[in-house]
Amino acid sequence: MKNARRAALPLAAALLLGGTAACSPGAGSSDSAGGGTFTTIDGNHPISAGAPMNPFNAAGNTFLGYDTMQLGFTKKNPQDPNDFFPGLARSWKTTDTSITVELEPDAKWSDGTPVTVEDVRASMAIALTQGSATVGAGLLTQGLDVAEVEETAPHTYEISQVPGAKNIQFPRLVLTQKIVPASVYGSLLPADVWDVIHASQSADPARADAAKAAVDRLGEIGKKVSAFAPAKDVSAGPFVITRVNPGSAVLDRNPHFFAADKIGPKQVVVRNYTGNEQIWSYMTNGELDAAPFTAIPDNVLQRILKAGNQRVDAINYVDAAIAFNQGVAPFDKVEVRQALAHVIDREAVTKVGQPVGGTPSKATTGLIDKVAEKWLTPEQQAGLDPYRHDEAKAAELLQRAGLTKKDGTWHLPDGTPWTITLQTVNGFSDWIAGGTVVANQLTAFGIPTKTALTADFSTYKKEMADGKYPVGFWLTALGPGTDAAFQRLYGADDGFTAIGATVTHKSGRGSGNWLNTPASFTLDGATVNPGELTAKLTVLEPEEQKEIVQQLALLSNQQVPVIQIWDYTNVQFVNDKRFTDFPKSGQDGLLSNSPGVWMMQGYVQPKKK
Amino acid sequence: MKGFLLRLAAKLAAGLTMVFTVATFTFFLVHALPGNPGDAAYEGYVLGGMPPELARAKVAVVYGFTSHEPLVDQYLGYLGQLLHGNLGVSISYSGVPVTDVIRAAVPWTVLPVLSGLLLSFLVGCTAGVVAAVRRNSRSGGLLSLSGSLMAGVPSFVLALLLAFLFHTLWNVLPYGDTSDVTIAPGFTAEYLGSVATHAVLPVATYALLGYGSWLLTMKSSVASVLGDDFILAAELRGIAPATRMRYIGRNAVLPLFTTLALSVGHMFAGSVLIEDVFDYPGLGNLLLKSIGNRDYPLMGGAFLLITVTIVVANILAELLYSVIDPRVRR
Repeated sequence: MKNARRAALPLAAALLLGGTAACSPGAGSSDSAGGGTFTTIDGNHPISAGAPMNPFNAAGNTFLGYDTMQLGFTKKNPQDPNDFFPGLARSWKTTDTSITVELEPDAKWSDGTPVTVEDVRASMAIALTQGSATVGAGLLTQGLDVAEVEETAPHTYEISQVPGAKNIQFPRLVLTQKIVPASVYGSLLPADVWDVIHASQSADPARADAAKAAVDRLGEIGKKVSAFAPAKDVSAGPFVITRVNPGSAVLDRNPHFFAADKIGPKQVVVRNYTGNEQIWSYMTNGELDAAPFTAIPDNVLQRILKAGNQRVDAINYVDAAIAFNQGVAPFDKVEVRQALAHVIDREAVTKVGQPVGGTPSKATTGLIDKVAEKWLTPEQQAGLDPYRHDEAKAAELLQRAGLTKKDGTWHLPDGTPWTITLQTVNGFSDWIAGGTVVANQLTAFGIPTKTALTADFSTYKKEMADGKYPVGFWLTALGPGTDAAFQRLYGADDGFTAIGATVTHKSGRGSGNWLNTPASFTLDGATVNPGELTAKLTVLEPEEQKEIVQQLALLSNQQVPVIQIWDYTNVQFVNDKRFTDFPKSGQDGLLSNSPGVWMMQGYVQPKKK
Repeated sequence: MKGFLLRLAAKLAAGLTMVFTVATFTFFLVHALPGNPGDAAYEGYVLGGMPPELARAKVAVVYGFTSHEPLVDQYLGYLGQLLHGNLGVSISYSGVPVTDVIRAAVPWTVLPVLSGLLLSFLVGCTAGVVAAVRRNSRSGGLLSLSGSLMAGVPSFVLALLLAFLFHTLWNVLPYGDTSDVTIAPGFTAEYLGSVATHAVLPVATYALLGYGSWLLTMKSSVASVLGDDFILAAELRGIAPATRMRYIGRNAVLPLFTTLALSVGHMFAGSVLIEDVFDYPGLGNLLLKSIGNRDYPLMGGAFLLITVTIVVANILAELLYSVIDPRVRR
């Protein structure tokens, strides 16, 4: 391989305006540094040419877990939102109103200076300029809402929540903020920034104008922070950025990192990507030591495995579903949605749509199956309607809804033929492939169905918000928290808005999203408001959430606001050609973080020759 | 000289009118696209576990560089800034000036486009002369066939084929960057070699795409010159074949110079597809990303730069032609 690459060089040189004649091998990722260079792709973060090395910039070239640090890294435990791997924080204790964090005593920035309370305070202030705070703290706060950062002992800081606020996510939000050096970012903050923050947090209606002005001012500071371009990377992570190319970045080991002895690779190269095919190609060539999840067809999977890559699977808190605009007939009728759930053979759809990274959903509950199993009792699980593939049952439900079948096709109650257009998005290859199977199944059942493609995701969201799609693919069952999952079905996009302690519902039939859910249902003889229940999840401890989660799951199973098709699996790949000791399948918490976090835990060591 | 200056002034005026028209058109066109810059980011934040309300608030700050003024006011402001060479700030880059973002991308379009163009021109024209002179031989026929084939291949098909063969299948050439990031930039053989290696695939694509049309045009031009009286006269006077070939080449290549200048603009526009296939981080790649991100200022800036390149190339082509062919000046 090396020889072939050398042979290409004179050609390359000749092509470039009489360029150089003698060149060395170009792409060094796979061969360089004797196993010391770890090459990967940050699946959440392509490289952006010309963007600053600033974690608060939307396109910023910084890399969480490698150079950019947090106090902790979430394990994404669905029943304990405060389950974390340590980051800059060695340990932490939480109370109802605060979190006390003990920093790693040896934590230092890459310039050799120690990480101090000033850094944490500046980082929290910056976080509050980035839209992280709730305006006017109240019962349903979801924001960071830091009131103070105070040093209580050497290396120990108490970060307190705004008085009166009760957000069970507060510790999680504190621990997941990016910690940056005050020496670099502090000058962007005005001296009175904490006064502005406190003013913005006021829940006093008499000071609402002042609060609004303070929020606006924080927003302006936030924009200044986002656009800031530091001259160089000063980080407290295991690596520090040495160089950013337009299409890749190289980070060298940070000698001042507090646990430098755990870090195996001497260097990390993060490559850019623009699509799945590029990642597959790199893996097929054995160029990546770790690769993120991509939708992947079976034949490509075989090619990737054959190239020496190993598959590692972890839980993925997201699900592909078919969602309905309940403002459009006949999808306003629950029997119709239930009938469609019986017609669609989820196993067959998954086999084509997401054969590698998908598992057919067992039942629609608003949660992925593995999370539902943890929250529902065995009796409740047994009582869920799995909506098995059953065309006779589907026909019965449609007839009950007033639809009729004539000449092999179904007609609406007013006698017009019923056709469906199933919307998907360009570039979402699994949705497109799965959508074709769904369309074939519905057509065979007597509902002529075609798929339609929206040009890109921005257009999809806009047109969805305009209520243009009666039926389409959507991502649901987000997690790990159940509040996030049910927000997807009964949240702001459905017209439910939490303001202070009150949840209001804007009726949006015929407009707004397809998830146009009514504000009240009858469940086991009682009237429930799913928006209110969902909002409550944000303020209840996990053990207090159980009853609500069960209600919402049963309601979703009964009402079928979406048909969950497959649960995604977080399929990643590692290659042990140069490194060993990778996390294994099932280490869900670790695998939900970047390899930089794996390294901090002592994983990924150079392979002994 | 006076005539030349007058022609130059007229061309510049026409060019500026064209740029103004395109700037106006693209401004309203990009703002008419459905969606907004924060949509994809919002989903990303929510999928990453951020509560929806916070995700919305974060988008409002991080992508809050969109003007909320009426579109006409935005347009007038845009034109005013444009006169000062200011293209505004990028939304998807959270307020980084558009000129800075574009400046980082431009060299990586200019370098491969010009290299590919020059290479295709030199090889294509030379092959065209051979194909014309040996038009009745097998080698001439084969050359003409290669030209016809290459002229008919769509750019993205060729780019995908080269990427598959040379990276995915044989892995002899890199793609996805401008150089090996582990090599420090500088005027060193190692760095320049790395830049050259990374540019091979896009340059080869540009070169192969242009090769066919240069060959066929040159062949046709040479064929017509071959029938001219002065060639017959030269042959009768016993002038050496090499000298006759020079006469033929110089006369035949004349019309191609105009096309050469025009091709610069076309190749700039074509860079969108080619850079996307190779993930080569030039202007075309940036334009595609900016469309996906609904980054209106960046889209406008990239469109404008490509337009200006085409307009300038057109003006240069016409002026160049009037310089090298005195008949045009009459």
